[in-house]
Amino acid sequence: MFEMNTAEPMQVDVPMEDNENNETECYVVENPTLDLETYAASYSGFAKLYRLMFVADHCPSLRLEALKMAISYVMTTYNVSLYQALHKKLAEAVASAGLPDVAVQMGSQDIPVLDTMWVESRTKKAAIKLEKLDTDLKNYKTNSIKESIRRGHDDLGDHYLDCGDLTGALKCYSRARDYCTSGKHIIMMCLNVVKVSVYLQNWAHVLNYVSKAEGTPDFNEVPGKDSNQSILTRLKCAAGLAELATKKYKSAAKHFLAASIDHCDYSELLSSNNVAVYGGLCALATFDRSELQKQVIVSSSFKLFLELEPQLRDIIFKFYESKYASCLRLLDEIKDNLLLDMYLAPHLNSLYMQIRNRALIQYFSPYLSADMRLMAAAFNRTVTALEDELMQLILDGQIQARIDSHNKILYAKDVDQRSTTFEKSLAMGKDYQRRTSMLILRAAMLKNQIHVKNVGRDTGPQSGEAPGSSTSIATRTFDTVTL
Amino acid sequence: MASPLEQFVNNVRTMSASGNFRELCEIIGKSDEVLQRNSAHLNTVLETLDIQQHSLGVLAVLVAKFSLPQGSLSDNDKSNMFQQIHDFINNCNGEQVRFAPDLYADLCHLLTDHLVEIKQPIRGIEILKKSIRKIQLFDSQLTSIHADLCQLSLLSKCMKPALEFLDTDVTGISSELGGNNDSKHFLLYYYYGGMIYTAMKNYDRALYFFEVVVTVPAMVVSHIMLEAYKKYILVSFILHGKILPMPKYVSQVVCRFLKPLSVAYHELATSQHAAIKHRETFVRDKNMGLVNQVLSSMYKKNIQRLTKTFLTLSLSDVASRVQLSGPAQAETYILNMIEEGEIYAMINQKDGMVVFLDSPEKYASPETLCVLEQQMAACTKLHQYIQEMDEQIQVNPQYVKKSVGSHDEDMPATSQNSKTTYTM
Repeated sequence: MFEMNTAEPMQVDVPMEDNENNETECYVVENPTLDLETYAASYSGFAKLYRLMFVADHCPSLRLEALKMAISYVMTTYNVSLYQALHKKLAEAVASAGLPDVAVQMGSQDIPVLDTMWVESRTKKAAIKLEKLDTDLKNYKTNSIKESIRRGHDDLGDHYLDCGDLTGALKCYSRARDYCTSGKHIIMMCLNVVKVSVYLQNWAHVLNYVSKAEGTPDFNEVPGKDSNQSILTRLKCAAGLAELATKKYKSAAKHFLAASIDHCDYSELLSSNNVAVYGGLCALATFDRSELQKQVIVSSSFKLFLELEPQLRDIIFKFYESKYASCLRLLDEIKDNLLLDMYLAPHLNSLYMQIRNRALIQYFSPYLSADMRLMAAAFNRTVTALEDELMQLILDGQIQARIDSHNKILYAKDVDQRSTTFEKSLAMGKDYQRRTSMLILRAAMLKNQIHVKNVGRDTGPQSGEAPGSSTSIATRTFDTVTL
Repeated sequence: MASPLEQFVNNVRTMSASGNFRELCEIIGKSDEVLQRNSAHLNTVLETLDIQQHSLGVLAVLVAKFSLPQGSLSDNDKSNMFQQIHDFINNCNGEQVRFAPDLYADLCHLLTDHLVEIKQPIRGIEILKKSIRKIQLFDSQLTSIHADLCQLSLLSKCMKPALEFLDTDVTGISSELGGNNDSKHFLLYYYYGGMIYTAMKNYDRALYFFEVVVTVPAMVVSHIMLEAYKKYILVSFILHGKILPMPKYVSQVVCRFLKPLSVAYHELATSQHAAIKHRETFVRDKNMGLVNQVLSSMYKKNIQRLTKTFLTLSLSDVASRVQLSGPAQAETYILNMIEEGEIYAMINQKDGMVVFLDSPEKYASPETLCVLEQQMAACTKLHQYIQEMDEQIQVNPQYVKKSVGSHDEDMPATSQNSKTTYTM
């Protein structure tokens, strides 16, 4: 009966804007082992709010807790509309959950009530602050001090962000661009824009500004410096996120792998744990064996990330050691928690699919023939299900093999190069002839100015019906359709 | 003072005698009205002219006579029509009538319409074949009579005679088809041709013909194009199992209008039930037969895919994988496909297994070599033809003038432009 709630239409604000992936998916996570407190603690700002809301949307057992945390956090900002929306959600959650679940009723005593006083005072305060910042900015502009104007814009952007007006914030941050005097400023501006764009899920924008920041001349001059490292990590994380969202898993993995753990302090977007999980899964799904070994397993920097997620580390090692059964089982175990991650959830199934396929391909690669029963055991699958998976892989050309369904054996296929060459060249020849005769005909057509047009009734030799508009021709052609 | 009709007869006689055919053509073009007005006397005029010597004159009179409104023709004339035209085509002077290909084509169209009307299409096939050969300047020239021939072939369900024309790739087009005249007969020829090939199950060629129809440069969309596009989709399904993308040079207007008008056909690709859902549409378009063929070819395509992935498979598995109703049906499908050489397999009836084999073709036989040589020769020939065309364009005065004239500004651009007119 909880399932009903996840379909609720209250999708306020932006968290679910990633239409292509999210809207269709409506799933419920039943038994997460997530400690919401620590989870939420690793984020700040909108990242925290959005993530909590995502959890609330998809996990009934954590819904009330998540909403309460989100509300208490939103009280520290000026985001009044989100506050009201969250309360609405909370009310609905209580209404639907209150009756059947006794345990929740105990919690319902400390459910916060909608504080209209707070709303009013906050709205007023926000307006006052906005006005002040606005006049400040005007003053700076009249004095035309570049640095002050830039700061003014930034402050205004910060305030908009605090109020939850993302587009306004984006506008202000971008405006600051004209007043940047040093490379450092440009990078700051880029980081601001990237942050807001991630919130807006405008991934093209994110990538654009990341590359802009990386192309800034000052950026590469002092590589050893700590601040630069942290900026670099932030940019890499944002880029990785954008690539992940646009389903380019391989480049996403590369970006995440380039992050540095000592400087990974980007709570406005994601935590170090996220970097580990995103990077690890993407790498697992797209890297081949040697890449996996070189760039993930022996990578000193990413190793530290993996320490944060021991389960994932085990998975990667199991995969590398070809212990696919336990690897896949571990993957299934962490699936519930991963489904509560707003950025990863839409891609989880395809990532898992790719990992499975990669495992299958690797498993079979050294063999000439393989017993499918053993293979099925190694992959926790029934033989028929495995057969289906293998069939798909063979059709996609990922495995060169054929299945002996009678004896349940998979045979590697030896391709006769000579025959295929003959086949290909004959097909090519046919294609060439077809194209060329079409070309000759078309040349003749153009030479004789044949084209379909509305012919006037007087120019034609006989009735001169316009083939485009007349129905009588059509009826005449229908008459003869005899097939 | 002679009546205009007498004057016409005199003109025909004197000019035919002096071999002044071009001028005669002009006069005939102008005397159309005179002939129409004196329709009562046309038979007398015909008697005074000789088919062989005054072919152009006779042609003009015949066209004038038979293009009169149907009611005004006497029953006698009607029954004689076929015979008269038949005699004319057999006996006329080819050189003379080539000066008026449009009139000649009109006569054939009239004959075709007549035969369609009296429901005796098969009678016209031989005579139209002859008439095409007579007017053609070379074998691979397309005339508007081609379309008539195909129409009669289709109607009489006697396809073979048309194949001889369809099999030759067109390299030139007769003047009466192009220019200011509408493209109806051109479209019809390729549409009917595609249908004939479909009926003969030569889908490759059928697809080519339908593609020609759809890619004709267009300012508006013709109904013929729409029907051809529908069949293009169906044939493409049968042949490739999917809708092949249209070439890039399809006119924009065609792209824009054809797709929305043939939604039912596109849906065949995505859903199994489209055939039932849109049954009415298909029946109305008289494409139901093809749709059924598409459905069965889908099963075949799926079975062919199985041969790529399996060495052995039980019949019931085959049935469940390609969504057939049961092992028995799967067996019939596979049996038929083996017989037609579409797959290589053996059915073991004892334990109900199918063993898929590789193609026995090893490309080592003399036949293969022969085929290869033929194909190569065909390719070379085509290549040579293209080169000739290129040379012709190179020496075309207009082309030379244009490319030299604009030399100062941007010669490469214009030369490319005039070239691309002839490329696809």
